[in-house]
Amino acid sequence: MVTLQKKICMIGDFAVGKTSLVGRFVRQSFSEKYLTTVGVKIDTKLIKLSEEQEVKLILWDIAGNDALTTTTTSYLRGAAGYILVVDGTRKPTWQSAIQLQAAVTAQTGDKPFACLLNKADLREQWEVTPNLVAPQVEQGWKLIESSAQTGMGVEEAFTWLAWQLL
Amino acid sequence: MILIPISIAKYVRSLWMAEMVLTYLHVDRNGILVSWGGYPKHYGLGSLATGKSASEQVSFLEGLLPIDHTEVLEFVSTSAGRSAHVHLLPFRGGTWVLFFDASTEHDRQQKIQQQANELSLLTYRQSQLIQELEHARQMLIAEKQQLEDSSQLKTRFIADLSHELRTPLASIAGYTRLLDDAERKNDEHTSDYLNTIQTSTQHLLSLIDNILEQSKIEMGQVVLAPRACDLKKLLKDLKALFLPHANEKGLTLEVKAENLPVQVMIDELRLRQILINLVTNALKFTEKGTVTLTLRWQADQLNLSVTDTGLGISEEGQQKIFQAFHRETKTQGTPGAGLGLAISYHLIKMMGGTLRVLSKLGKGSQFFTTIQAPSIYATRSEVIPTERHHEPASSSIDNIKGSKVLLVEDALFLHKLFEICLSESGYEVISAYNGEEALLLIDERQPDIVITDMLMPVLNGYDFVKQLRAKNYTQPIIALSASNLEEDKQFARQIGCNAYLSKPVEPRLLLQTIHKLLKETMA
Repeated sequence: MVTLQKKICMIGDFAVGKTSLVGRFVRQSFSEKYLTTVGVKIDTKLIKLSEEQEVKLILWDIAGNDALTTTTTSYLRGAAGYILVVDGTRKPTWQSAIQLQAAVTAQTGDKPFACLLNKADLREQWEVTPNLVAPQVEQGWKLIESSAQTGMGVEEAFTWLAWQLL
Repeated sequence: MILIPISIAKYVRSLWMAEMVLTYLHVDRNGILVSWGGYPKHYGLGSLATGKSASEQVSFLEGLLPIDHTEVLEFVSTSAGRSAHVHLLPFRGGTWVLFFDASTEHDRQQKIQQQANELSLLTYRQSQLIQELEHARQMLIAEKQQLEDSSQLKTRFIADLSHELRTPLASIAGYTRLLDDAERKNDEHTSDYLNTIQTSTQHLLSLIDNILEQSKIEMGQVVLAPRACDLKKLLKDLKALFLPHANEKGLTLEVKAENLPVQVMIDELRLRQILINLVTNALKFTEKGTVTLTLRWQADQLNLSVTDTGLGISEEGQQKIFQAFHRETKTQGTPGAGLGLAISYHLIKMMGGTLRVLSKLGKGSQFFTTIQAPSIYATRSEVIPTERHHEPASSSIDNIKGSKVLLVEDALFLHKLFEICLSESGYEVISAYNGEEALLLIDERQPDIVITDMLMPVLNGYDFVKQLRAKNYTQPIIALSASNLEEDKQFARQIGCNAYLSKPVEPRLLLQTIHKLLKETMA
């Protein structure tokens, strides 16, 4: 069995659900209470991709921001890929994601990433529409609808990214 | 004994506060943990083994080493440990990793950030709510405007309609008075007065019929009944109908038939209604020139067009002309309720076509469409469902003469009218003016047939019929009603009426119905 270790960063505006997604993925838990992240929280999760291959993901859950700061940039060092998170109920977080993706690419070069349209359990309140995301879909962005509350799309997103890192 | 290099010690001294305990890792150029010190467990790091890979033991070092200049990672925490500022210092190809406890500062910063973020979320939700409220307000304003417009339209329509209804009514009232006077004086103008009353009555009826027709269309109650139709005969009838009026106005009326088959399957009554509406309009709004009605048949489709050399319709008007109650400003002095074209438009739609208009102000208009009209290749002797009125044969009339008819009608003038017609046709008329009176007469007089109005005082027609049938009265019952709604007809049948006639009832139709029902009963 081959075990690889890969660093993945969680990036996105504040309160989009980055910490909750990690909590769901690593501990299968979810809390309704919002607790803002300061700095970065590090977690690990071992996932088995096949009989011969497993990957230990080192998850860097970075404090939310709508732009890349010097501090955030220092956290990106050595990342193999990243998860870009958007709150479907807040349209501005989609604009933040577009800006962040461009800034991360400028900083680290092209790295594999998945974009999670989160809070799918509140779909009736979504402001992020298929029309809005269409240009990025055309560019080849991997968009996955997710919910940290129900677990929808969470495992799928991390596993998909892990495969991209092999 | 591990020796911390002087440069590292100086770096620490420049940052370190007395009460802080230094935790450090020393990693060589190959990423192997050379030494460690302090309390790595405070930061969630388990037991560390020197001589092994550092990043395998301290997972967050993955991808970070080696470094070529000092790096500071602020507020790094693991799920099991305190928050630390992690300083990475390059030293002789390797790295010194220093942990400075930042828990207190982390908690302080978190409180501030939490408040700021929550406030920001709240402000965003608030602005969204305000936007939604504003949107709802705009919608309400638009709806209010729409309601005001339609209310205004309705008010105008009611005013127009009242005027339209009053004109023939006034005429009827006036001529009835003249007729009364003339009868007393044995005046020779009686016939003219009667004609005028009849014309006004017809006008009034056609207005009311149009309003009812529009309501039925809006309620989806109009159903087409295609039957065999002789289009040439229809055109001949229409020409005969309109020619006197065209001549009176000095207009030429052209009726063209092209390639018409012997018979087509179509709802003749509705087609006639459409053509009458279109030609009536054309004649109404044309002062000189020609009105042309053309029917052209090809491949089971009927093209119809009505062209005139009249006023014409503005471009704006052409957009609205098929809307119910719409009337062009220039036509508002002429009689009408603005329903004929709307009704025609809907009927044509039901026949698979779309009524269109081409028009130019001052030049004239053309209304045209193509509707489904499959040809029937049949000889006239074949049985084809056509609407025919059968006159009762005189021998069968003899059999039912003397039959007792219970007439229940509260409107005195109608009661009188039917009474005369029935008596003249040889029936014995028993009169009642409401359901209660009628019920009392049933056992006493045992009528052969009952004719009853449905809306009456004391006991209405519906309850009267129900009670009558409950008493095991088995003879036919004919319902008379001002309503021609399908639901009312069905309900009347359900409670036991054998026939339902909508007012105004033509005496001849009433007699035919009585005859038919009595004949069936006798058989």
